[in-house]
Amino acid sequence: MATGAPPTTPFAHYGRAGEAVSLGLVNMLLNLATLFVWRFWGKTRIRRFLWSHTTIWGDPLEYTGRGGELFVGFLVVLVLVFLPLSAGYGLAAVLNEQGNPLGAALVSALYLVVMFLVGAGLWRARRYQLSRTRWRGIRAGQGGSAWKYGLTWLGVAVLAGLTAGWSIPWSDMLLARTRLAHTTFGTQEFTCSATAGPLYRQFAVFWFGCALLFAAVIGIAAVLGVAAGTVGGESAQEIASFAIGALVLALPLLSLPWAWYRAAFYRRLAEGTAFGQVRFVFAPGAWALVRVGLGNLILTAATLGIGRPWAASRIFRFVCTHVRVIGEPDFAAIRQSVETAPRTGEGLAAVFDGAGDF
Amino acid sequence: MLAGRFHDGRTAASRPVSVHASDGGWEIRGDDGTVLRFWRRPDIGAAEALPTGGVRVTCRAEPDAVLVLPRLPDAATAAAAAKRHRRAFRLGIVGAVAAVAAMAGLAAALPHAGRVVAELVPQSVERRLGDGIARNIEHHGRPCRAADGKAAMTTLVTHLAAALPEQRRPRRVIVVDMEDANAVALPGGTIIVFRGLLAAAADADEVAGVLAHEMTHVALRHPMAGLVRNLGVAVLVALVVGDTSGVVASGATLALANAYSREDEDEADRGALRLLAAAGIGSDGLAGFFHRAARTDRVPRWLSDHPQAQARAAALDAARVPGREPALPPEQWAALASICR
Repeated sequence: MATGAPPTTPFAHYGRAGEAVSLGLVNMLLNLATLFVWRFWGKTRIRRFLWSHTTIWGDPLEYTGRGGELFVGFLVVLVLVFLPLSAGYGLAAVLNEQGNPLGAALVSALYLVVMFLVGAGLWRARRYQLSRTRWRGIRAGQGGSAWKYGLTWLGVAVLAGLTAGWSIPWSDMLLARTRLAHTTFGTQEFTCSATAGPLYRQFAVFWFGCALLFAAVIGIAAVLGVAAGTVGGESAQEIASFAIGALVLALPLLSLPWAWYRAAFYRRLAEGTAFGQVRFVFAPGAWALVRVGLGNLILTAATLGIGRPWAASRIFRFVCTHVRVIGEPDFAAIRQSVETAPRTGEGLAAVFDGAGDF
Repeated sequence: MLAGRFHDGRTAASRPVSVHASDGGWEIRGDDGTVLRFWRRPDIGAAEALPTGGVRVTCRAEPDAVLVLPRLPDAATAAAAAKRHRRAFRLGIVGAVAAVAAMAGLAAALPHAGRVVAELVPQSVERRLGDGIARNIEHHGRPCRAADGKAAMTTLVTHLAAALPEQRRPRRVIVVDMEDANAVALPGGTIIVFRGLLAAAADADEVAGVLAHEMTHVALRHPMAGLVRNLGVAVLVALVVGDTSGVVASGATLALANAYSREDEDEADRGALRLLAAAGIGSDGLAGFFHRAARTDRVPRWLSDHPQAQARAAALDAARVPGREPALPPEQWAALASICR
C-alpha cells in the first residue's frame, strides 16, 4: 500500500496559447470554406493537440480518433434518429392542429426521448473518446450501457424537477460515479465510492442564494407594478422584461456559491476514486474554478469560437496541475484492453448536444 | 545507435532500449543487448514530435507498440514521414471538397426529390393532413356559407378547373371569415380563400387569378412536396450547422425553405396564366393583385414568402393574357363578394 507516501503531481499539460489559437484560427477558416463540414476533422485536430500535450509520468497521451469516424457517426444518427424524430414532431404538429390531445402527449413523449438520447449520446461520446485514448500504447475504455446511463440521465432530470433541485448533488454524484466506475485503462478498472452526503451544506447555500435572488427580483417587480398603478397592458410587459433582465444580470453572482459547491464536489469525487492501489486528490479552490470558467467563457465568446482550443487547453492545464496522486500503479501488471472499441464516433451527442471539443 | 524507451503495447511498462538502424529497418535491443524487435522499414509509421522533446514512432506490424526516441535515427524515415503527412493532408482536403459537393448536390436535388416523394404519399394520408390544417383555420375563422356566394364560387372554380385533369382538380374550395387578403392551398387539394381577399379585390378577375394560382399549386401537389422538402431542408441544415435546436439552424432552414418555395410560386404563376387563358379570363386581375401588393405597406401573408411582388407583376404584364369576358357576371360577383354576410 502506498498510504503515507506524499502525493505527487504526475500529470502535466504543455499546450501553448499561441499554438492553440492558430489551431482555432485554421479550423475556423476551414469551417467557413466547407460550410462547417470540416468541424469533425477540426475537432479531431484539437483533441490530438490536447492529448499529445498532456503527459503522465513523463509519457504523453495519444489520441487515435479520426475525423471520418466522427463524420460517419454523425450521418448515421442523422438518418436513424434525427429523421424519425423530426417526422414524430411533424406528426405531433398535425395532431395539435387537429385539436387532438394526443399531439401534446406526443410532444412530451418526444421531449423525454430527446432527453434520454442526450444522456445516452454523452455516454457513447465518452466511450468513443476513451477508446481512442492511448498511453504507452495501452488503450483506455469505458464499459457499461448507454441505455442505462440515458435512462438514469432522464430519471435524475425528472427528479430534479420534482424536488426543486434538491436531488442535484445526489444525482450529480451518481452520474459521475457511474462514469468513473466504468472507466478502464487497459485491464485495470477505476473504482469510485464517493457519496454526496456532506455536499448538501454547500448546495444549500447555492439553493437559498437562488431563492433569495428570485424573491428579491419578484419583490422589486411587484413594488414597481404597484407604483406604476396599473398592472396590465404594456406596463406589465415592461416589468416582466425588467425581471428577466435583472435575473440574467444577477446570474454571475450565483457563480461563486455554485463554484464553491462544485469545488467540494470534485474534492469528494477524487477522494472516493481509486485506480488499483492509486488514490487521488483534486482540491481546487472555488475562486480558481470561477476564474477558469469565466475566463474560458470570455475567451470563447469574444473570439467567436476561435479561442475554443485555448479554453480547452486551459482546462487541461488546470486539471493537470491540481490532480495529485498517492502511490504509483504497477505498470507491468496493466495489460492491453481486450474490449472492442466502437467503430464510429459520438454521433448522438454531436446531433443533440453539440458535444464539446473533449 | 540511439537510446530510447519501448512500450510493447501489451503492458503499460516502459523499458529502456537502444535502436540500431540499417537499410532493412530498425533493430530494437533491450538494455542487456538482446534483440527485442526488428521493425521493417516499410512498416515504420509516421513519427510524431512530442511536446516534451523527442519523437514517438509506431510500427504497422504491431500497432499497439510505441517507441520513444530523442530524435529519428536516420534521415530516410524523416523524409518518408513528411511525405505521408502531406498525402494525408491532401486526402483531407479532397474529402472535404467531396463532402461539400455532395451536399450541394443534395440541395439541388431536394425540390425534385420533394415532388417524387410527394407523389408517393397516399391520397388518404395527404387528405387527412390537409383536413387537419383546414380544421385549425376554420377554428379561427368561421366558414362563409351564403348559398348564392357558394354557387358563384363553384361556377368560377369549375370554369377554371376545366383545363385540368380530373384527379388534379381541387377537392374543396371554401371561404373563411378572416381579414387577411390571403389564400392558401393545403395538402390534399383544399383551397382556403380568406374574406379579406374578396374585400380587397377590384373585380372577379382578380379572385379568379389568385384561384388559378392556388389551383396550380394543388394540381402540381406543391403543398405536399413543400412539406417533404422542408423536412429535407431541416436535415441538410442540421448536417451543415450541426445543431437541431439553435437559432442559426432555424434561421437557415427558413431562408432555404423560402428560396425553394419561390420556384413553386413562379411555376404557379405560369400555370395560372394557362388556366386563365383556357377559361378565357384576362390575366390583368392577377397582375393587378401583385401591383397592389407591391404598393401596400403591409404585404399580404399570401405573399410573405416572396417579397418581389413588383417583379412578378411585371412578369405577368409581359405575358398578358386578354380576357373574352369577366370571370363572373356582375350579380354573381356581388354574391361571391358578400358570401360572409
